Amino acid sequence: MSETAFPVNDLLRRRLQTGLTVVSLTVSVASTLFLLLFAGQIGFGIAASAQDTLTMGTSAVFAQFLTFVGALIFAVGAVIVAFIVFLMMAQRTRDYGLMKATGCPNSLVFGYFMTELLGVTFVGCVLGVIVGFVTDYAIINLGMFQVYNKVPNVWFAPLVFVAYFAFALIFGAKPILDAARMSPIKAISSVQYFGLAKGTALKPLSKTALTVRIATRSLFRRKSATIRIVIFLSVVFLLLTVSIAGGIIANDTTNSWVQKATGTNVLLVADSNMANQYTQLLLTYSGAKADQDFNYSNPALSISDAVLGQIAKTQGVATVDKRLIWSGTIKELGGFMIDPDTLATLPVGDSRQGTSLIVGIDGSNVVSTPFTTGGFLNATSNSQAVVGDSIAQKIYASFGTTVGDPLRESVMIQNSTFQISGICLDPINGGNVTYVPLSRLEAITGLSTPNVLLIKVDSSADYSAVKIRLETELSSVNPSLSIVELNSITTKNSDFLGSLWGVIMFLPAFALASATLCLVSFQMLTIDEQHQEFAVLRATGAKPRTIVSILAVQSLTVLLSSFGVGVSLGTIICILVLTANPVVSSFTLIAISAWLLTTVLGMFLLSLYPAVKFAKKPLLEIMS
Amino acid sequence: MLPQPKPVVISTALCKAYQIEDTAVDVLKEINLTVNEGQFVAVYGPSGAGKSTLLNMIGGIDKPTTGKITVFDLDLSQQNEDVLADYRCNKVGFVFQNYNLISTLTVAENIAFPMEWKRTPSSEIQKKVTELTKTFGLDYRSCHFPAQLSGGEQQRVAFARALANNPPLLLADEPTGNLDTKNGQRIIQILQALKAEGKTIIISTHDSEIMPLADLKFYLEDGKLAAPNE
Repeated sequence: MSETAFPVNDLLRRRLQTGLTVVSLTVSVASTLFLLLFAGQIGFGIAASAQDTLTMGTSAVFAQFLTFVGALIFAVGAVIVAFIVFLMMAQRTRDYGLMKATGCPNSLVFGYFMTELLGVTFVGCVLGVIVGFVTDYAIINLGMFQVYNKVPNVWFAPLVFVAYFAFALIFGAKPILDAARMSPIKAISSVQYFGLAKGTALKPLSKTALTVRIATRSLFRRKSATIRIVIFLSVVFLLLTVSIAGGIIANDTTNSWVQKATGTNVLLVADSNMANQYTQLLLTYSGAKADQDFNYSNPALSISDAVLGQIAKTQGVATVDKRLIWSGTIKELGGFMIDPDTLATLPVGDSRQGTSLIVGIDGSNVVSTPFTTGGFLNATSNSQAVVGDSIAQKIYASFGTTVGDPLRESVMIQNSTFQISGICLDPINGGNVTYVPLSRLEAITGLSTPNVLLIKVDSSADYSAVKIRLETELSSVNPSLSIVELNSITTKNSDFLGSLWGVIMFLPAFALASATLCLVSFQMLTIDEQHQEFAVLRATGAKPRTIVSILAVQSLTVLLSSFGVGVSLGTIICILVLTANPVVSSFTLIAISAWLLTTVLGMFLLSLYPAVKFAKKPLLEIMS
Repeated sequence: MLPQPKPVVISTALCKAYQIEDTAVDVLKEINLTVNEGQFVAVYGPSGAGKSTLLNMIGGIDKPTTGKITVFDLDLSQQNEDVLADYRCNKVGFVFQNYNLISTLTVAENIAFPMEWKRTPSSEIQKKVTELTKTFGLDYRSCHFPAQLSGGEQQRVAFARALANNPPLLLADEPTGNLDTKNGQRIIQILQALKAEGKTIIISTHDSEIMPLADLKFYLEDGKLAAPNE
């Protein structure tokens, strides 16, 4: 028999195993390639495009997630390939033994099975590359993703092909080499095959239910394969937890940043031009472009005392937050810090400068407080300022040997100096914002009246009714004033964030599909290996559902052990590493649990498909 | 007047054909057979004659293509899988030619598991397993796995398992076919004891030493059953 005829015939005659291995390899290669292509087009594209819209702090959370999810998906692909080729080759140990026992030299046995491994790996990887491209093309042309459509980076294809081909060869060659080294008698021994030689350690009759007993012992019999699938599924569940739980937590957290900064039940009152500009500034987060040349000093934007008086009289108004919005140059003023080791005084910062939206607020009377590292402005902060996270990273970041730390530095606006007391996460102007006390900004600009009012509607009052009332009452005082509901702005920003997180949470879908397929493959191989025993059980009176129960217990044992490991690690990573100050409500936990349990239940039910199909077969067909 | 013997197995014009690709293979042709309660029946004939297929039909493992097979008044060709499972569990003990033990269960557990399908209390299972392992000389092997047993020992476990639920009908497919003389003799002793107990036994065999035990001997060749020799 030639060195190619045997492997080709052997693969073609073992269609089930060959097919499963090729399909699993194809899905793994395709999922990784799809992720790289798709992420290149939308995923990492999000991070790049979001940088101009989202605040830098929020962008950093997205980028961190994308990198982590990408790395995990690659890890999942690698583990799948390693697992599948191992399974395929490890199953042949008995065949190697038989061939060697009949006089086939080691080198020829090794050659046969290496040819099989090379053939299967090559076909799987080529198909994977094709499926990866086709899937990416199909999905990127779906309506929701069409905006991200651009030419994919074709260099990912050889990269993924070579990586997976190498993985498959390395992991597949190991069991072949092990088997080639094994003596024929050991290879064909049923003790070696079944791995059961510790009988005397057991009680003759175990009290455990028969289905559980057969299921668990079968899993232990295939210890190596079981450990591998548990490791593999743990990585998949880790990936899922990071994507689903992390995505939900990060979505809730970033949404809470938006809501805290804008406030709830807040109405904006300003000149119609100013109202439009302010709205655009808030919507910068979701891609709107504010007018860069807007003249905030225009006297026509001032809000008169008459307007303030009228608002104060309006029923349902809880708080009026007077703000002066301005744009100008801010300068970094370095500070000092004490070296904890030498106690020497070290300089911090430099003298960089840039343009910022500058918001003057009355710290004693604000309707919303953004999430702030350090402290936000209060009634006593007359000489303090709070900078947005984008300003903190653009102007106060460390570079080279210069240490930047905004909380140890100051900001200079014209000739006035403010000690920075906090760094806030505020969607306005994409985080390019500096908050200063209202009175100080009035002195700097010479503008003595606010140009924006944020009105907090009393929680007992009807939000829309108060808006209508204000419109009616203020139209007689100043007809050019506009009243805008900020709740709708918050909703738009939240929806935008939600859609971005939705895309990220979609990325592991392929990895999940390949994991499910692998679990189904594992079940099919289990059935293939145990079919004779199941036939005996049936022949002695077991009902078909007993066989399904045994296979269900096996699947559940594998799934739940991986689920426990993966979800625990994933939760730790999500909460401790990926999202700083996570917002975790009881609803968040319910949502995460529901998603993860639905996933594991779905995988479990799909994994039962081969078992149910097998149980329906006529008994004689199973026995033969 | 002696009581009329009660028929246990009645097959009428039983046929079985398999389709292998384009070729139809007739394995059993018009088999008419009656086995009465307490009879020891030997079916013999060359390899490929259809002996195992006939036993599979009687055991409710396979269904006829045409014809009818009734065992304990149950028409096996008309039953669904759950009824057949109950039949296999309660009425028949099957000893397979290649033992067919469950590799992940110990000897004791292999004997015990058919009793679990009947939800027999564990104390009774324990008692029965102890009794059977002693009877078959397997008590020192109770906690070993099948892979650690010799062929003769595995065959004895298979017999013990077949008798676990105390079935009224025992089917054995070439029970001594894979055994040496000494182990074959032990199986013959077991069969003798079962016959003495009055169990209905149908056995397919080539073994000339089993033949003298049989009340009825059927010669099966090319799917056709010759008239019985008593």
